[in-house]
Amino acid sequence: MGTRALGIVALIAVAAASANALFVVPPDAVQGDAQRIMYVHVPSAWLAYLSFGVTALAGIGYLWKRDLRLDGIAVAGAEVGVMFTAFAIWGGMMWGRPVWGVFWQWEDPRLTTTALLLALYLGYLLFRRLTDDPHRRAARAAVVGIVAAVDIPIVHFSVEWWRGLHQGPTFGSPDKLLHPTAPGLFVLALVSMVVAFTIAWTWLMIRRYQLARIEWQIEEHGRLGRLSAARRAGRASAPPPADGAPERA
Amino acid sequence: MSALRADAAVALQIARKDALSELRGRQIAGSTLFFATLVLLLFGFALGPDPRRLADAAPGLLWLAIVFGSLLIVARLHQLETEDGALEELARYPIERHAIYLGKLLAGLAAVIVLGGVLLPVVAVLYAIPVVAAWPALAATLLLGAIGLAAVGTFYAGVTVRMQAREVMLPLLMLPVVAPLLLAAVKATTAALGGNPLGDLAAWLQLLVVFDAVMIAAGAATYGHLLEE
Amino acid sequence: MPQTTIYAAPRTREQTPPPAVATNELARLFGRSAALAGISLQVDAGATVALLGPNGAGKTTLLRILATSLRPSFGSALVHGVDVTLRPDLVRRHVAYLSHATGLYDDLTAAENLRFAAAMRGLPDARAAVDRALAAVDLAADAARRVHGFSAGMRHRLALGRLLLGSPSLILLDEPHATLDADGMALVDELISGWKASGVTVLVASHQAERVTRLADGFARLDGGLLLEAGGQGVTALKPSPLGWPSVVGA
Repeated sequence: MGTRALGIVALIAVAAASANALFVVPPDAVQGDAQRIMYVHVPSAWLAYLSFGVTALAGIGYLWKRDLRLDGIAVAGAEVGVMFTAFAIWGGMMWGRPVWGVFWQWEDPRLTTTALLLALYLGYLLFRRLTDDPHRRAARAAVVGIVAAVDIPIVHFSVEWWRGLHQGPTFGSPDKLLHPTAPGLFVLALVSMVVAFTIAWTWLMIRRYQLARIEWQIEEHGRLGRLSAARRAGRASAPPPADGAPERA
Repeated sequence: MSALRADAAVALQIARKDALSELRGRQIAGSTLFFATLVLLLFGFALGPDPRRLADAAPGLLWLAIVFGSLLIVARLHQLETEDGALEELARYPIERHAIYLGKLLAGLAAVIVLGGVLLPVVAVLYAIPVVAAWPALAATLLLGAIGLAAVGTFYAGVTVRMQAREVMLPLLMLPVVAPLLLAAVKATTAALGGNPLGDLAAWLQLLVVFDAVMIAAGAATYGHLLEE
Repeated sequence: MPQTTIYAAPRTREQTPPPAVATNELARLFGRSAALAGISLQVDAGATVALLGPNGAGKTTLLRILATSLRPSFGSALVHGVDVTLRPDLVRRHVAYLSHATGLYDDLTAAENLRFAAAMRGLPDARAAVDRALAAVDLAADAARRVHGFSAGMRHRLALGRLLLGSPSLILLDEPHATLDADGMALVDELISGWKASGVTVLVASHQAERVTRLADGFARLDGGLLLEAGGQGVTALKPSPLGWPSVVGA
């Protein structure tokens, strides 16, 4: 019930904020309507990184507590994150074409880092697929997720240094929206989009986690079932356990 | 403190064992060298024959060859352990998990340094670049890059050691992670070869140091979980 | 005997040493099948116990869990009172395991393999111990040969020799007589008797029921991942304990 309410709120929020960003807010003086893509690209990118952070933290949590629910959160983060990452890259490229003249700009740290983020996510998901045993998969995926997450900040800094040395064109920068001198209307539109998208993200995460939980509950049920079936098969022929000397508690 | 010394001793023992296996005819370094040299040759065909273009591309091509070579090296070093169930036996000794990681890392590091050391003159010849003058900076870059590759490679070799499809999973998982190392190593090499015109050599070397430190720490901390069943 | 023990159950008034092995509802699943379906047993310190049962009964799985190579899916296992999941590092110091795979390095010589194992076990004067071990398994003549050229029987004997390094207080043997000729099998029997005499606990999983039960104090019969029967001295089937840790019985 609560999830459904959240879903409706998310839908309304995203619709409203998007309508505002795409139609109500005036276009940018320099970049024109193309700049509107930023209202979608920036929240997507933020959520892509957030998802990966969640995956890494849930992985650490699993290694500590060995609770498969945390692994469910980790896989939810990875799958939801892949979606937002792909979306962010697509948005970045769509924005880049009219503004930069090219689809891809190597020195834009966000674009390059996000592309690498996608590669890391997909590797993580593929890796999960190739391991069967749930606990083994959870432990190894957690480890892979942690190392990948640790790499991301390094990638970001390295590309920033890369750009800094090149002194490339600066008139078309996605950072413009976050600049302190950006008009209040733009900032408000952006913030509302971020909030709306984050609500949608939360809903997606919950749904994916619920799915994961059902999956491992079935799995666990199956495991316990096989365990008791094996016992029943054995108990039919086994004598009761010995109980010689008095037990000392 | 004595615990650290014990760990270091264990790591050195493991590295020594791997080095012995290698020297006795495993041909880990030998076949890897051959492969990496072939890669450099093919790059020549792909990007040549304009010598200026090749000279410009040389640092990138050198490091690509080293990265591909290190994939082979770390995979085969872990293979030494799987052939007779030796990894499981190794995990049963009363030794720290991170000591095992560091031991394998040291063995991999030695091999990658040898690889880089041989490829540098090969690149100098094939792509006509002057390496002798800049050799201290190049040596530093090679060392730092090799440490990072050994750290990340040993970790992912441990991740994929008993998987199906490990031949493709190892590069698939490892290559995105070494992207910043590749960038920094190539930039540093370019700077070193050109006499450091922009003064950025130190910055890139610093990035390599940070990468190496972070990856060794992450690998050492998590390797134990890879040995569990 | 290990000095430190983390006693899982409350101590009794008489300080009896904890049993070498104590498990409670120990279970291990591999995907679809239950290799162990809930084993609760106790092996007393110093006892020699035969683990009997057909292929797939769970003998190897049980030994691997006790050797800390495998995590249990359910239940708990204690070695000398130490939980194998909570403090595997302590358990490893005192346990040695002979598995099906010999875990040797082909490019190293027999002596180098053992010297490496001795170093991993933290032994100070490795050379003497290694020479003794090689002599004990009749491989002194082949000490400087690379393992690559060894026959299966020789590799097996080398792995047996590895067990003699350090002084483990619990020895786990998985089919020790396999791939050996008559002399080799006699050697195994000799080693087991030697361990028995020095008070080391030995758990032997074997198909060769008669041979092993002659050497052993007691036996435990497994099938389908369950303990069917425990007889003789030194091994007892336990009642499953709801507390989580095994409720051990007195000596």
